[in-house]
Amino acid sequence: MAYPTQKLLVALALLGGGLSVASAAQAESLAATAVALCAGCHGADGNSVATAFPKLAGQQKKYLLRELMDFKSGKRASEIMAPVMATLSENDLTELAVYYARQKPAPGVVGDPALLALGKDLYLKGNSKTDVPSCESCHDETGNGDGKFPRVAGQHVDYTLDQFRLYAAGKRTNGARVMQAVAERMSEQEARAVAEYMASMP
Amino acid sequence: MKLKPTLIAVVLSALAAHPASAEFQRQPRVSGIETYGYKWNPSDQDMNKALAYKANAKKGRATYKICKGCHQADGSGLADASYPQLAGQHASVIIKQMMDIRAGRRDNPRMYPFSGEWIVSAEEIADIAAYLNQLPPPAGNGKGDGANLALGKHLYDQDCASCHGKNGEGDAKKFYPMVAHQHFAYLKRETRESRDQGRRNTNPDMVKVLKNYSDADVAAVSDYLSRLTLPKK
Repeated sequence: MAYPTQKLLVALALLGGGLSVASAAQAESLAATAVALCAGCHGADGNSVATAFPKLAGQQKKYLLRELMDFKSGKRASEIMAPVMATLSENDLTELAVYYARQKPAPGVVGDPALLALGKDLYLKGNSKTDVPSCESCHDETGNGDGKFPRVAGQHVDYTLDQFRLYAAGKRTNGARVMQAVAERMSEQEARAVAEYMASMP
Repeated sequence: MKLKPTLIAVVLSALAAHPASAEFQRQPRVSGIETYGYKWNPSDQDMNKALAYKANAKKGRATYKICKGCHQADGSGLADASYPQLAGQHASVIIKQMMDIRAGRRDNPRMYPFSGEWIVSAEEIADIAAYLNQLPPPAGNGKGDGANLALGKHLYDQDCASCHGKNGEGDAKKFYPMVAHQHFAYLKRETRESRDQGRRNTNPDMVKVLKNYSDADVAAVSDYLSRLTLPKK
């Protein structure tokens, strides 16, 4: 897979100028970079089509930047993301996080509406029998997240489930490790239900 | 090349070589009341750091986010003893208990993963404790059946009030918890555990008092405690 390096370098040169406010041209270059580098998997506007790849549109900027940095450093392991991040500076990653945070998220797709009631209950109240905290306390009642806590509303069920599995297996260890304990404690059905409920949130 | 992206992702996640599951989630265990020469409330670096720090309740409100998924937005926990009531509790008590869980002096494997420095720093724990301390204690905490309140009062006045206070207010300076407004089921379980030395960070003076208590005595005193109320701050 070849990246359009020249375009990227131009964009990087512009971004690296130390200007705090990006001009319209720079913003356009950045969008072009994002599209060129990321769109194949994450969609031009951050609304990915393939359900294994997360939607980034409307994601929390702070969270997104942390994840991008962690992919770059290897703290979050991904053989897909690591080589892409290696070509970008911290400044580029900041700009990308800003870009995706500004995009309009598309509604998610629910696969199994029968699970929504259980998912909603778990999302809002948790399960005190197994000490699963509610999701809303960190990710907000709306699913929009907050700063370092990611937006989960409208996310692909497959991606969310994949992350739960990685957390539970101790394979995703970056960030605060709250999610590892949470994912480990959820049953398969609870994980599916809450992923469906997240997908259903606008 | 047209491979299904899902397939690629699955293969790649399976390949990712990483530390095996969750060893950091296993709570350490240090010696406690079951050990000869046990010293209650030993000096603890993290605890001293949290106690010395000038806590900020406003910041604590934001950090409490992580806790409220279980302990509830108003700090009141759940009456069935799954989560204790924390609103209005002394900051020093919350800090001590958190650090005891963190260090393995109080066994709580369910709470442990949320107590670590990877989630909350000593300073953040102090902020959270300051925030909880200024919340109003709930009136609607879980109560017992009310059958043996006279016995409960008698036992409390005789054995407990000298440390936990006439109204169950505890003593912040001595790390004695406020027991008023706590859930009956939680009080009953923790008192019993203290008696049986399962609560390994228990004050030995508590054990001396409790060792002659029957389960019915524990229930009676817990019921009485759950009905104590503090004057509004």
